[in-house]
Amino acid sequence: MEKRELENRISDYFDGLLSPAEVAAFEKRLSTDNDFRTEVDEFKVLFEAIKQEKKEIPSKQLAKNFEKMLQQEKSNQVKVVALASKDNGRFQYLKIAASIALLIGVFLVGRYSAQRASNHSLMAAQQEVLEYKEATLISLLGNESASKRIQGVQLVEEFDRPDEDIVGALGEKMLSDENTNVRLSAMEALSKFSYSDQVKVFFIQALETEENPSIQVALIEILGQLQEKKAVGPMKKLLEKEDTQPFIKKEINNVLPKII
Amino acid sequence: MSANQLTDEEIMAQVAADDLDVLRILFDRHHVHVYNFLYKMSGDSMLSEDLTQDVFYKVIKYRTSYNNGSFISWLFTIARNSLNSHFTRKKVMHSDLETVKYRLGEEEKEEEYSHLHKALNQLEASDRELVILNRFQGIKYQELAEMMDSTPGAVKTKMSRALKKLKNIYLQTI
Repeated sequence: MEKRELENRISDYFDGLLSPAEVAAFEKRLSTDNDFRTEVDEFKVLFEAIKQEKKEIPSKQLAKNFEKMLQQEKSNQVKVVALASKDNGRFQYLKIAASIALLIGVFLVGRYSAQRASNHSLMAAQQEVLEYKEATLISLLGNESASKRIQGVQLVEEFDRPDEDIVGALGEKMLSDENTNVRLSAMEALSKFSYSDQVKVFFIQALETEENPSIQVALIEILGQLQEKKAVGPMKKLLEKEDTQPFIKKEINNVLPKII
Repeated sequence: MSANQLTDEEIMAQVAADDLDVLRILFDRHHVHVYNFLYKMSGDSMLSEDLTQDVFYKVIKYRTSYNNGSFISWLFTIARNSLNSHFTRKKVMHSDLETVKYRLGEEEKEEEYSHLHKALNQLEASDRELVILNRFQGIKYQELAEMMDSTPGAVKTKMSRALKKLKNIYLQTI
């Protein structure tokens, strides 16, 4: 082998990837060529340093967060199965029955509360609890730790109809939080309230600014389901952008015809 | 045979078929490697944890797009893309890893770096990435070629040059 070729094989020599004949040629050069020997010795120092380099161990929080995310994804899977059975006639009847039961329930509660003035204090207490939860949520969203912010985002599940302040705070997290997981959680939380115009505006804004492909795909799916015509412009822009990932473009091409 | 004895590719095929529980095995096998790759590239332990989490989130999210090729190539392609997106977002990096002008010591962080890490940091991002993936994470030329849309021969030549540069920088600094 030529010297240049031998030099390119130094790492193979240390990795034991050379054939016996190549090893013989390599070592023959080692014994006769001082420069080559120096070069090999220097590489030996480097490879030894690489071998000795300490492996960094991430904190236990990483495994915990992974587990949490896995559980969340699994519960999302269950939800998908439940929605898929919506064509089932019996399920439809159950839904209607549940709605009627709910209506009657609401009516009874309404009448009862009208008759009993003392219930005002109960409602006031409930309101107080909600206000307390809202304050906790907003304060968690401002926390420096990303996992606390995610906790804050998840608190929104406690609200049946979050008010504008909460939606605004979540929207702001979805648009500008530096942590991808926080933005993603905020988006997922908001998707439950996508009937709200305020939420739709946030989604469209996020589609214009978001660069993370996982979030982009989810946004496109949601806006597609909502048949949101105002999303067509930003989607077309993404299609035109060169650095948009191919699978995002594919998703847009799937969704666009359904909107228009 | 228990799932623990399966190859990465066999397990990922199960994940792609919506058996999410077995992803734990892949996480246990590889999260430290992914984290170390990201840490060596970014020098930021907190960021590396966030991005490692993001990588496994994407594994779940895009599980159906897994094409039954080398799992390691696929996983580290996601890791490279996550890092890339992060730097794009932060405006440190423009269009690809090549333009990273990362300098240790610019930010006041309490990270302690080894001599070797500092030497690595003086390499161009694409060389640094190659050395870390091959010499530290043990990813083979064939898999690197898949990830980088190149050939094993071309990867090997680039690798030899990168190692030589690293050796010279390292020997100057110790």
